[in-house]
Amino acid sequence: MQVSYFETARYQVPPTVPAEWPVPPGAYDPETGAKAYQGMVDRVRHVEELGFDWVSLSEHHYSPRILTPNIAVSGSYIAAQSKTIKIAILGPIVSQSNPVQVAEEMAMLDTLSNGRLVFGMLRGTTNEYLTFDLNPAEARERTTEAMELVLKAWTEPQPFGWQGRHFQFRTVSVWPRPLQQPLPPTYSLGTSRESCEFSARHHIGLGVSFAPFEVVAKSTRYYRQECARHGWEPTPEQMLYRANILLAETDEEAHDLLEKQRSGPAAFPMRAGVRDALLKLDQRNVAGEARTPNVGGSLPTSFYGSPDTVVEQIKRCREEVGVGVLDLAFQNPGAPDTGRLMQSLELFAEKVLPRIRDV
Amino acid sequence: MTQAGEAFREGYVETDGFRIRYMEAGKGPAVVHLHGAGGLRLTRGHDLLSRQFRIIAFEMPGFGTSPENNRTRDLPELAATMAKAVAALGLDQFNLMGTSFGGKTALWLAAQHPEQVRSLVLEAPAAIRPAGSEPPAGSPEEMARRLYAHPERVPPMPPPDPAVREKQARLVARLRGPDRDPELEARLQRLAVPTLVLFGTVDRVIPPNMGHFYKELMPNCNLVFVYDAGHAISTDRPEAFAEVVADFIERREAFVISRTETVIHP
Repeated sequence: MQVSYFETARYQVPPTVPAEWPVPPGAYDPETGAKAYQGMVDRVRHVEELGFDWVSLSEHHYSPRILTPNIAVSGSYIAAQSKTIKIAILGPIVSQSNPVQVAEEMAMLDTLSNGRLVFGMLRGTTNEYLTFDLNPAEARERTTEAMELVLKAWTEPQPFGWQGRHFQFRTVSVWPRPLQQPLPPTYSLGTSRESCEFSARHHIGLGVSFAPFEVVAKSTRYYRQECARHGWEPTPEQMLYRANILLAETDEEAHDLLEKQRSGPAAFPMRAGVRDALLKLDQRNVAGEARTPNVGGSLPTSFYGSPDTVVEQIKRCREEVGVGVLDLAFQNPGAPDTGRLMQSLELFAEKVLPRIRDV
Repeated sequence: MTQAGEAFREGYVETDGFRIRYMEAGKGPAVVHLHGAGGLRLTRGHDLLSRQFRIIAFEMPGFGTSPENNRTRDLPELAATMAKAVAALGLDQFNLMGTSFGGKTALWLAAQHPEQVRSLVLEAPAAIRPAGSEPPAGSPEEMARRLYAHPERVPPMPPPDPAVREKQARLVARLRGPDRDPELEARLQRLAVPTLVLFGTVDRVIPPNMGHFYKELMPNCNLVFVYDAGHAISTDRPEAFAEVVADFIERREAFVISRTETVIHP
């Protein structure tokens, strides 16, 4: 099993800041922001030394919760401050990006980092539709088309035009290309039937996130079926699972911390009227079965407990979901600073990591 | 919705010993179309283009209702016949569009008469194919799966007459030439006619990655991928097809310059 550390910049939000998304930018404190980014660099260096395989980043906007709105800037800065760890961009919200620009930025990052890019393409969480005025009814189709255009921009040897449904370019001719050829490790990120089918069709990986094992296993199962239909078999490393982890010395301690977190704030809470309107418009599914989008709800913690317990949970995840990469969001509930987080990372590296390498 | 091609009127030209049928609609600069191996079939792409251009879609000798063609020996000969048919209509300058097999024919015609061809549009051309390619064959359902990105969205068509299909298949097998034709490719390197090559991203007859070869060979070539279209681009995505084709015919290589206005409120 390979392990990725999900970095969010960890901006320390004072309790006076409203939780509702979008969070008022007037509440932003420049000093706290600078400290958050310095901490990000410290943690990346630390997890690199501890033996984590990847550090991952994700595009989110208008909130201190995940303070990496531009993942090309974040990724290249991290790459410059590290040596060997893979830089996993999981990922750009391609539905609302210029896909040609994404192809350029990511190829450049792969080359600058000496081939350390891992690349995933996202549709975006429901709240992000408001960020750049993306029509929810178009989000799915724009994502699929954008993913296809990024791959085309990386593989087509001649300048070409793109006569899409949602994107139109008369001239595409991307320089540089990724250092890793023919493609860096590439994933479409999502549990949907469309993501699974796209990944299978293009021989790329699938990244699932946050839902419990039995839910994401439906997607990885469907993905493998679709790959077989296209005449190939994905490696475990082509399936990745982003999940919350709460690691403590003992199960009791982890359990107490988890309880504290359950009463904590939700991911991206939104005003009820907007949330309900979005819920009606945003169609999501797990391998074809309709699911309600998560707007403002909290996310499950898939791995929690002592190192022994977490090792067992990871073994069960490998068996039930089949993934070969875990992208872990380390929980730091109730802590005013990141000290406990650092302890938790060290505990993971010492007591979990060596025991899951052969899982 | 009206049937594709309803506005088109039938005509005939007598030339080169053949009586050649064509369908015509629209006013404006002339666009001559040469069909694919399945014969002449008007699409909504033709309809949309006929709003801006005079479209003349020929049925090449040996296809459709015309008698079996045992005379034409190769594609350069077929192209020469079609050039005479265009001349018989009194056109000395025209835009030329070819689909698949007709794309290869159109390339030969343009190579023979470059001064007459204002622009060249190739829809999923079959002039450069992977080694060992075979023309698609099979039941109507199998053919639909090969030709269209979404066969279920294509309105059902009357089943083809088996005698016509077999006659056409024999002719195509005889004329289609090698998968890579060194003689044609040598000609293409000197063919300066502004050319647009279109491939659907899900073409299941000719892989869309054949497109770059045209661009590498031809001095004035543009390559455009039509997203989520199969081999029959003008049936799968007629609006997307017609928009880029019309823009190219109108502005030729300058079509790469956007004219889209993005002012929301002045």
